[in-house]
Amino acid sequence: MIGDAPVIDFHGHVGNWESLAMLDDPSRMLHAMDAAGVDRACVFNIFHPDGRRGNDATAAFVARHADRFIGFAYVSPMMSDRMVPELERAMDDLGLRAIKIYPPYTTYPLDHEAWHPVFSFAQERGLVVISHTDGGYVSQPARLGVAAGHFPGAFFVAGHAGNIEPCRIQSIEMARTHDNFYLETCSTYRQPGVIEQLVQGAGADRVLFGSDQPLMDPRTQLGKIITADLSDDDKRKVIGGNAKRLLGLD
Amino acid sequence: MGDVTVSELSFRCDTPVVDANVGVGHRHDQPSPFGEPAPLLAEMDRHGVDSALIYPLQGEMISALDGNDGLHEWIDGSDGRLLPTWMASGAPESLVQLQQLHAEGHVRAVRLHDTTSTSTPLTSWIYGDLLTWLQQEQLPLWISLADNDPMELANTLAEFRELSVVLVGGHYTHAPYIPQLLRHLPRACLELSRHETLGAIEDLVTSVGARRLLYGSYAPRYAMGPVLWGLHRLAIEPWQLQRILDGTARELLRLPAEQDESEGTR
Repeated sequence: MIGDAPVIDFHGHVGNWESLAMLDDPSRMLHAMDAAGVDRACVFNIFHPDGRRGNDATAAFVARHADRFIGFAYVSPMMSDRMVPELERAMDDLGLRAIKIYPPYTTYPLDHEAWHPVFSFAQERGLVVISHTDGGYVSQPARLGVAAGHFPGAFFVAGHAGNIEPCRIQSIEMARTHDNFYLETCSTYRQPGVIEQLVQGAGADRVLFGSDQPLMDPRTQLGKIITADLSDDDKRKVIGGNAKRLLGLD
Repeated sequence: MGDVTVSELSFRCDTPVVDANVGVGHRHDQPSPFGEPAPLLAEMDRHGVDSALIYPLQGEMISALDGNDGLHEWIDGSDGRLLPTWMASGAPESLVQLQQLHAEGHVRAVRLHDTTSTSTPLTSWIYGDLLTWLQQEQLPLWISLADNDPMELANTLAEFRELSVVLVGGHYTHAPYIPQLLRHLPRACLELSRHETLGAIEDLVTSVGARRLLYGSYAPRYAMGPVLWGLHRLAIEPWQLQRILDGTARELLRLPAEQDESEGTR
C-alpha cells in the first residue's frame, strides 16, 4: 500500500536469465516489493513453449507466497496442440488467474489465427491476456487490437504499452478503439511525460502499473507513476485499482 | 529511508541533489523538451534537484566543438545550478578547445562523445592524448556505456590507471558485468540512471560502496523522478543515500559539500 492505495504489479517473471542478470529469487522480489509498497505481483514463466514446465514453476513460485504473487499461464502456438489443454490445466488445476503470451518467441503475429484458440479460451472464461508489445512485426499493438476486436469477451493488455514512441501511440489508439484494451507501463523507455501520455490518451481507467521484475526493480518502475504529473485519483487507479478490478481481486 | 517529502502519492526530494547526467539543447535529429534553461530548471524544481551536470546533446554525434560553444548560454542563465561537462571528440581541435576552457578556469569534468555512432574506435591511439591530459589535470571523464563499446572502453581506460571515470547509462544489458567492470576499473564510478535490475544498486552499495555511485537521470532520454524515488526506497543508510544523491558528484567535481555527512567507510 502507498497511503490508502493498494499497489499491484501487473508484470513479473518467474525463471532465470543470467545473461541479463535476471534471477527469480522470491526473497529479493519481496524485499523490493516491501520497500516500494507493492502488495502483490503478477508473475509468469515465458521460457518453455510447452507451457507445462513453466506453468508448474509459476504455480510452485506462487504457492510459497500465495498472498503476494498471482500466477499467469503461458502457452505458445509453436506447440499449438498443447495450448488449450495446458490452459485448462493451468487454470483449473494450478489456479493461475490470467494468460501471458510472448509473440517474439513465435513466428506468428498477434493477428494470426494461430493465436485464436488462446483468445477463444480467454473469451469463454472472461480472462485477461497480457501480451508483450513492441515495434517488432509480430508484436505490434495494432495486431493485438485486432484480437481485441474479434474477442470482445476477453480483456487484452499491451505489455510495455508498445515500448517505443510510435507503438505507444498505436497502443493508445487501440485503447480508444476497444473497450477491452489496456496498457501496462513497464519499460526501460522512461522519457519525461510517458505515463502522462498514456493516461491522457487512453484514460486513467485503462493503464496498469507493471515493473518487469526481476529484470527491472519495481522501485524505479513504480517511481514513474508516483513522480508523474497526475492527480492522486489517477495514480490510485494506475498503481493498483485497475488491476484489482480487472483480475477480480478482493 | 532518506529524508524525503512523501505525501502518499507524490514526492519531492528535500535534501541536496545533483543530477549527474542531463543532456541539453536540441540534438540534430531530435528536438528536446529542454531546448532552453527555463523548462529544465522547472523540471529540476518539481523533483527537488538542486544542480545538474549538463552536456550538449548536439555534441554526442555531431560536434563537440559546436556543442560546447552552445553550453555557455546554459551556464550563464542558470544562477549556478547548471554545471558543465564539456564534450570531447577524437579530433585534435577538441582537445585544444578543452585546454583553452581549462586555462580559463571553466572545466571540472569532460564527457566523451558517442564513439559507436560516430564509428570511431575507442582506442588509445585515437583518444590517448585526451585521456593523458585529463589524467594529468585530474579531471574526471564521463563516458556512456550506452554509446561506447564496452570492450574498447574497458581495455582503453584500464591503460589510464589514475584517471577518474564516471560510467553513465548502464542498462540491464550491461548489468551482468557491471560489478566486474567496476573491479577492472578501480577509479570508475557508476551513474545510476538506467541501472535498474532488481536489487542491483543495493548489491553495489555492499560490494563497491556508495562512494562509487551517483544519481543521474539521463534526461531528456529519461525522466528525472523515477530513479530519484526509487533511490529513496533502497534499504541503505541515510549517509549512503546522500553520497549517491550528491556526495560522490561533489567529490569528483571538487565542489564543497552541501552538508556534513556523518558517514561510514562505504
